[in-house]
Amino acid sequence: MARTLLCEIVTPEKIVYTNEVEMVIAPTLDGEVGILPLHAPLVTVLRPGELRVRYNDNKDVEWFAVSGGYLQVHEDKVIVLADAAEHASRIDVERARKAKELASERMAAMKEAPLMEREDMTECEEDLKWYEVQLQVAERRS
Amino acid sequence: MPNLRDIKQRIVSVQSTRQITRTMEMVATAKIKRAQEKIEAARPYAFAMMEVLSNVARYVQNATHPLLEEHAERSRIVVVTITSDRGMCGAFNSNILRITEDLMRGEAAAGVEADLIAVGKKAIGYLRYRGIEPIASYRDISDKPTFADARAIATSIIGRYSAGEIDAAYVIFNRFKNVAEQKAETYQLLPIEHKVVEADTEEAVGMRAEYLFEPSAAAVLEHLLPTYVETLVYRALMESAASEQGARRTAMKSATDNASEMITTLTRSYNRARQAAITTEIAEIVGGAAALEEA
Repeated sequence: MARTLLCEIVTPEKIVYTNEVEMVIAPTLDGEVGILPLHAPLVTVLRPGELRVRYNDNKDVEWFAVSGGYLQVHEDKVIVLADAAEHASRIDVERARKAKELASERMAAMKEAPLMEREDMTECEEDLKWYEVQLQVAERRS
Repeated sequence: MPNLRDIKQRIVSVQSTRQITRTMEMVATAKIKRAQEKIEAARPYAFAMMEVLSNVARYVQNATHPLLEEHAERSRIVVVTITSDRGMCGAFNSNILRITEDLMRGEAAAGVEADLIAVGKKAIGYLRYRGIEPIASYRDISDKPTFADARAIATSIIGRYSAGEIDAAYVIFNRFKNVAEQKAETYQLLPIEHKVVEADTEEAVGMRAEYLFEPSAAAVLEHLLPTYVETLVYRALMESAASEQGARRTAMKSATDNASEMITTLTRSYNRARQAAITTEIAEIVGGAAALEEA
């Protein structure tokens, strides 16, 4: 059996996932990183995107949507600190789609608004991104 | 002599009150458990967060960040006051509001203006009554706080602190000590105390590994600190939610006990009154019979 990594995905509200895996592929600010066992200790910032883990001789893959956060690797243990994360199979597509529409409407409205009133723009953009990612990941489930 | 019917009515009314308080007590007991589980669920994240934070801090010597910097002057602060949306929980809210007012009075005496962020209907109502206008208010989140709520609160504070509009931020909330005990507490959110990024480093699980940081240690820290403040706010909200149920349970338990005691006393006077009435009646009959015999 191949050497494995312990992967933990935690959010402030719950532990989303813990399992022994063979590879973790995560979206960082500078692009994707793939982490294999014996990886050097690393701390990195994640952007909203798809995170996947491979196990069972790389035959099985599980997808997650993460909304950004941090990832720490230390001695074959990967901790993903996500603001929000969801397993592909548990994403509520209908809800995400509706929320995404709402968010993009708000975005559009905000772009019209004078600069002064754009306070929530980044927040709204983040929301939008998060819902997009959820939908994208939901597509992946087989 | 007290009227029998009146006493009976009071017993019935106290009994129905007791039924309500007992139900609320049981509901609160069930909710404490849920609230506690939520706190537990947040623990792994908080631990991992502290671990990463202290790791990063070791690499960024003399870390400078707007959120770590103490402002030389102190002219405006923000106070987040966390209360409940519902009453019937003893001194839970009044403690918080008293501390809030003490703090505001103290700051005002030092010439510092305090902006309030009110969480919970009780704080909102009280402040309106006192003619204080909070800069933001949140209602209906005290029962089931989410991380998004905490984030909304934290983001506005962080933004204003970085912009130099405010010089400190505090949160006042009930810390959940155990099911029977809550303690109203003031906690400093900003500036982030240096001990957070320093003191823990030595004992930090004894890790001495060389870390890589992407994009860089400073950049990681920059992202990490706001999130840290968010988790602090989230924790305060959750502790408050659990404390609220704890306080309500205690308050309702003593209300139920008091009602039971009152029913005992009332039942006793009811029986006494009934006995007195019977005695009087017998005396009357005996008296009447004696009068007839004599005749």
